[in-house]
Amino acid sequence: MNDPAIEIRQLVKRFGETEALAGIDLSVPKGAFCVLLGPSGCGKSTLLRLLAGLETPSGGDIHLSGRPVAGGRNGVTVPASRRNLGMVFQSYALWPHKTVHGNIVWPLKIAGMPAAARRERVAAVTRMLGIEALQDRFPGELSGGQQQRVAIARAIAPAPALLLFDEPLSNLDAQLRVEMRSELLRVHRETGATVVYVTHDQIEALTMATRLVVMKDGRIEQQGAPGTLIAEPATPFVSTFLGNPPGNLLLAEPTDDGWRVDGVRCDGLTVADRSGPVHVFYRPERLTLHHQAGDRRITRRFLETLPIAGRSIVSADGADGAYGAGQGRVTAIVDRPPPLTYGDPVHLELPDRPDGVFSMAGERLA
Amino acid sequence: MLTRLGAGGFGDGRLRLGALPLGTAAWGLVALLVVVPLANIAIELASADGMRAISDVFTGRIARNMLWLPLQNTLAIGVVVALACVALGGLLAWLVTMTDMPLRRTIGFLAAIPFMIPTFSAALSWTVVFGDDRLGPASTGVLHALGVPIPDWLAWGGVPIAAVLIGHLYSICYLMIAAALVLVGRDLADAAEIAGASRWQTLSGILLPVVTPTLVAAGALCFAEAVSSFSAPAILGLPVRFHTLATRAYGAIETGNPERGYVLIATMILVAAALLAVATLAGRRRRSFATVGGKGGRRIRMALGPAGWPLAIAALAVVLFTTVLPALALLLSSLSGQRGTLFGEMTLHYWIGASDPTIAQGQAGILQNPQLVRSFLVTLGVGLATGLVALAAGAVIGAAIHRTQQRWVAAGLRQAAFLPLLVPGIAIGAAFIGFYGAPIGPLPSLYGTPVLIVIAGVAATLPFAVQSVTAALSQISPELEESARVGGAGPLRAWFTVTLPLAFGKLLAGFVLVFVKMVRDLDLVILLYTPQIPLLTVLAFRYASDGFMQFAHAVSVVILVLSVAAHLLANALTRSSQPWLKDNPG
Repeated sequence: MNDPAIEIRQLVKRFGETEALAGIDLSVPKGAFCVLLGPSGCGKSTLLRLLAGLETPSGGDIHLSGRPVAGGRNGVTVPASRRNLGMVFQSYALWPHKTVHGNIVWPLKIAGMPAAARRERVAAVTRMLGIEALQDRFPGELSGGQQQRVAIARAIAPAPALLLFDEPLSNLDAQLRVEMRSELLRVHRETGATVVYVTHDQIEALTMATRLVVMKDGRIEQQGAPGTLIAEPATPFVSTFLGNPPGNLLLAEPTDDGWRVDGVRCDGLTVADRSGPVHVFYRPERLTLHHQAGDRRITRRFLETLPIAGRSIVSADGADGAYGAGQGRVTAIVDRPPPLTYGDPVHLELPDRPDGVFSMAGERLA
Repeated sequence: MLTRLGAGGFGDGRLRLGALPLGTAAWGLVALLVVVPLANIAIELASADGMRAISDVFTGRIARNMLWLPLQNTLAIGVVVALACVALGGLLAWLVTMTDMPLRRTIGFLAAIPFMIPTFSAALSWTVVFGDDRLGPASTGVLHALGVPIPDWLAWGGVPIAAVLIGHLYSICYLMIAAALVLVGRDLADAAEIAGASRWQTLSGILLPVVTPTLVAAGALCFAEAVSSFSAPAILGLPVRFHTLATRAYGAIETGNPERGYVLIATMILVAAALLAVATLAGRRRRSFATVGGKGGRRIRMALGPAGWPLAIAALAVVLFTTVLPALALLLSSLSGQRGTLFGEMTLHYWIGASDPTIAQGQAGILQNPQLVRSFLVTLGVGLATGLVALAAGAVIGAAIHRTQQRWVAAGLRQAAFLPLLVPGIAIGAAFIGFYGAPIGPLPSLYGTPVLIVIAGVAATLPFAVQSVTAALSQISPELEESARVGGAGPLRAWFTVTLPLAFGKLLAGFVLVFVKMVRDLDLVILLYTPQIPLLTVLAFRYASDGFMQFAHAVSVVILVLSVAAHLLANALTRSSQPWLKDNPG
């Protein structure tokens, strides 16, 4: 019984020519809140649908609680209905011709649960989500937040061991989203189910995950506790994708007397191979702002400042005047907003050593 | 389609020409085209003659033959056609959109075509295949000529009428239901699958209930169309005195009893309206089931397994039987020297032959026949004029519906503009004869002029015109026009240089649809026709009645080709005919 809730090996999914998943290895312990995070098209929803049994893998295998459910040498495919899981869809997928009660009770009927047990179960989950009063309404008569609660109630009613969420909060307004986050955590605690949760919103990911999986182009970039991923990003993508504001990734070139960024000396690089440039990673809170040029200070043009939590996030453009994140744009967190206007030169001092070094191929060197 | 009508509206910045003249013009148009002619029927019925006609038709000695038997026939045909169309169209829609049936793209494409084939062409082609010699050798069909015994009920009357209408209308059901099935979020079925539902449980417990409102709407539309059809019963019923309300009304008006005809027509309108009202009420609570749900993209098709090919062949048989077969039967018949033999001696006489006293009383082939060539030109002219006027009227009314501030005024205008949908073509014809057929004050009678046919055509096609125009224009963001205004263009210039070019394709499609409805129509013009305005459809109908079958079939082929080509052109212009036939991207 100590098998992980989910064990995925070398999972591949192709749609015709395109490879949506290119060899996924993932192990999720029982009771975890596992968040799949990544930009759109990274394969996270495909992975979720493979877990659910709504798609069949092109290669590799999936075990749920030690039981093979898809792929493997003998090509098993356990249908979605026999995987003991519940799913909440982005669209909620509430059956529009059934009432709230009908939506929640139908899966229990299908499962052959006796009437008395069904009544008890529906009462329990509607109470847990605070929707007892809505049972006779149709989905079309509910607000977005209420529909969300019904969808969750329907998914947890059969008491599945695994709960899948496909961007469930993306159709809610900002305030409801905050509310539903803690609601979902409470449901997770009370049901004890293992959760796999797909999102592109890193705030959801960082606040809810016990295990965070960052995906890109059908591959897992890095997985682990959220704090670990922030502190020790394994790839340049994770370093600039995670965190608010995201980290700074700058190009460092080797010269005869050490490494230089924008022609300015940068210290603390312990990289043996000096044959070509590398990416250096600096956390925003470690950069400092100055009025004059100086040692280890790169010069950029000031773009904007955003006051947040009593401090200020200052952004400056990239080395070639580029604006977008990951294009050499630099952000720093400072105590006081600088008296600068758009286009003013700004001098940012690099700390005495980078927070990470990546090869141009994306491998972490230090 | 009925479900889409009434939707749409204009962006706020359109044609700021002052609301008052626009609203007045719109109401004037609707009054002249719809309200007054129809109200005139009601007034006629309320007169002394009208009241006598009502009591005659409902309780007099003629009531049984005049009203009750035709009503019974009409209702039976309506119910059978509606049920069969929903079943057939629904099954096809499901096969094409939800399964991995082989050839589904070809079948889907063909399934949309029967709707484009005029019912009177389809009815004539039925006689080519199934006709017997009851009306003499001229009506002998192929099967009968080959020695296959054709029972009378298969050759004439209710069964062939229903069959021809089903073969025409199932196509609408297919299009409506396929569109609804595609809109049902894939998530709904996925959620059922995760809940453990079998395919059958998902189909019967989720999918079917969700599309039920569409099934009801499609069935109601087919019922209304079947009940109001004139062509099919006229060609397949009249020869054996099988009557529906439409043919009885036609007979009454033609024989100088217009009041009795009006009574029957009012009954038809009430029957159709009652059913549509019931369907609307039944569907009210469930209206917005088909929602664009979840993420788009790949649909998972149900694997049919070994049943795939048999189903594909059956479906292909249905669509070929209702598309290629009628066209081929008419074409071959028009080329055959002898009635009843499609593959015997072939002749082009009925197409290009010169007058020959030994054949068809000296009628020349249709391309040589000055009467037919003139008829062709007149029909085109009437169609073009109707298309242009209808679109212009649609633009004025559509703009007014959107611009009017008072909601109830806009609602009233919309209801009135869409009213002709409920009114059978033959009833609109009767209403226009009744009102514009006599001089009105200083205005002369319009009877016998093309103007009468054109304005009646505009009235009959007004719902489509208003819908086409509003749909075309409402898809263009008003901001596009506003940005031109901000850039310094005047309102008219902005409209003509920005909005019109962007909407042009869809407006043209609307025009083509109105044009083709007019060119292939028989129901509306059968009462308005005079020998001075020889319309193709009426000519073909007359030829058929007089036993010149090959001529009727040759003309019919021309109309059929024109109609299908125009519809395909309109589909190409709107690029929205059947999006589900395209393969989903991975």
